Amino acid sequence: MSLKDLENKSIYIIREAYAEFENPAVLWSTGKDSTTVLWLCRKAFFGKIPFPVIHIDTGYKFKQMYAFRDKIADEWGMDLVIARNEEAIKAGIGPKNGKFECCTKLKTEALMKYLDKHGFDALLLAIRRDEHGIRAKERVFSPRDNEFRWNYRDQPLEMWDQYQIHNQGQSEGEGTVSIHTRVHPILHWRELDVWEYIKQEKEIPINPMYFANDGKRYRSLGCEPCTSPIESNAKTIDEIVEELRTTKIAERSGRAQDKEKTFMMQKLRALGYM
Amino acid sequence: MNVNVVLVGHVDHGKSTLIGRLLYDSESIKDERVEEIQKLAEEYKRRFEFAYFLDSFEDELKEERTIDTVSLMFKSKKNYYTITDVPGHKEFIKNMLTGASHADVAVLVVSAKEGVQEQTRRHMFLLKMLGIKQVFVAVNKMDAVDYKEERFETVRNQISALLTSFNFVTHEIPFIPVSAIEGENIYRRSEVMDWYEGSTLIEALDTVIISQENKPLRFVVQDVYEVEGETVIVGRVEAGRLSNGDEILLEPSGVRGWIEKIMVFGSELEEAKTGDSTGVVITNSGDVKRGDVAGTVENPPLPREQFLGEAVLLDKNLKKGEKLELRCGTARVRCVIREIKERINSETGEVIAEYPEEIHEHDAATIVFATEPLVVEQFAEIPELGRFVLVKNGKGIGAGVVLGV
Repeated sequence: MSLKDLENKSIYIIREAYAEFENPAVLWSTGKDSTTVLWLCRKAFFGKIPFPVIHIDTGYKFKQMYAFRDKIADEWGMDLVIARNEEAIKAGIGPKNGKFECCTKLKTEALMKYLDKHGFDALLLAIRRDEHGIRAKERVFSPRDNEFRWNYRDQPLEMWDQYQIHNQGQSEGEGTVSIHTRVHPILHWRELDVWEYIKQEKEIPINPMYFANDGKRYRSLGCEPCTSPIESNAKTIDEIVEELRTTKIAERSGRAQDKEKTFMMQKLRALGYM
Repeated sequence: MNVNVVLVGHVDHGKSTLIGRLLYDSESIKDERVEEIQKLAEEYKRRFEFAYFLDSFEDELKEERTIDTVSLMFKSKKNYYTITDVPGHKEFIKNMLTGASHADVAVLVVSAKEGVQEQTRRHMFLLKMLGIKQVFVAVNKMDAVDYKEERFETVRNQISALLTSFNFVTHEIPFIPVSAIEGENIYRRSEVMDWYEGSTLIEALDTVIISQENKPLRFVVQDVYEVEGETVIVGRVEAGRLSNGDEILLEPSGVRGWIEKIMVFGSELEEAKTGDSTGVVITNSGDVKRGDVAGTVENPPLPREQFLGEAVLLDKNLKKGEKLELRCGTARVRCVIREIKERINSETGEVIAEYPEEIHEHDAATIVFATEPLVVEQFAEIPELGRFVLVKNGKGIGAGVVLGV
């Protein structure tokens, strides 16, 4: 699809989510994909994003990420909220506990606690089908049950541009989590499309870590202990685009959580991971 | 050009292997993924197969069948393809419809060894209902029948008869003898099948043309925003084009006005084309709301309260007189099943009963729907507003197309 077609569809999806849900929010990791989604939201709403932008802070992010985050939040007038699993961070949970455990506690649970407290009924996320086999199976609007689980065996009917809206309700009582729907505005974009769009739009800010420094750059940005750079000399967006056209190395090859166990990604997602 | 392909056919006829082969031969598969699959195959003590590039659910690998759709991308010298494999089992029709609804063209895979089977029929019926016009047939597993031309001819005749019965025009459909497992006639022209002079699968797909016709303006309203003191109606041009200064009518609200501005973030435009998500400011927005459809006053959208549709049911049953929600474009309206005209077997296309009181799961039917005022178009003319989803208790239980208004 052309960049225009991709953008048109994404804006349609974002406006649908805003029209259909009472209390949406968008997740932002400061990475290239979620920053692109924020940019698309700005376009959809003519400037100011009318709902909160959630950053899940594990405490292990690269320092450059935090600075970058605060600067953009300020420039774009975002309603930025930080979600942290304070108990787990205080208890010293980290990659030494095993990556599955760490991701679950510091990311998934941080999000769950936040959603529970603030009652969001929809979350916009920047996942793409081509990132990982599991994500290739996702719907544009994908419901999560009251324990965050993804019922991948019985996904909703999603034909044409009719996006399933579940009857959602706030659970009452202590310790229960609201049911929410994940919305994926760039599900149909490829990695190369994202970079070409960033190049075209000129105003989408990109974390400098994506560009080569000393023969290495980051293709995907996770937490510091678990993200490895790749060999590269691409210092500009044009060079990255060129590199992507010819590479056969997968985007997330530097991400430890994807490698560890064969179906870890599926298990993580089924338990509510992004 | 981007082409969306849906791959249909009976389970075990080799669809997954076919896609895997298309991805592999076009070098669309990352090295990492090949390694990952090889590891998986070892872990599950299975033979390495191209089919494993697809099914990424652990259950699917264990159960050896596809539960849900998967969409993957590959390219030829000419086009970018998004290919969606859909499950064959009857219990997953909902997922098959989801996957097929985005397709421009279909590739039907039939095993040369087994010929036409049950799922093949149901898939073709549903594809016809969904309006897919361009079909390519891959007669697969030619390696299992020694690449014999006679066997190909026999199976081809069988498939032609089936397609003709569903009103496909078979002389326009390419039938290609392939072997996904050996890579014959998919990307690479087969030497062993020297009796075949037609195109390879990829050559056939590369002939696809997606045409744009001149249609009347139809703009669906998603929402109304207040932006710096102006009322901006946001939505998408589903057909035709929107030009600054046009006089438009929005139904079913009945609002009429001139377009003063067409806007996107950061600029104003003179026009918006089919597919564009955009915002408009008009003189007198009145009570425009989500679900409205705009058209020019010369060729206005007409709200209806009744229409004839053909639908397939995914719920246990549907009775005459039953009340549901119907969604078309951005509109959601209450509807009543006024009359079920024909109950149709979605596997054979045969009419099982006329004017029945109810239909059952997986049946198709022609139904008279009575609704709150709604703009719909004939599917054959403006498909974007001629297709609908039926909803009960927030869940999609059926889908269909508008046959007549």
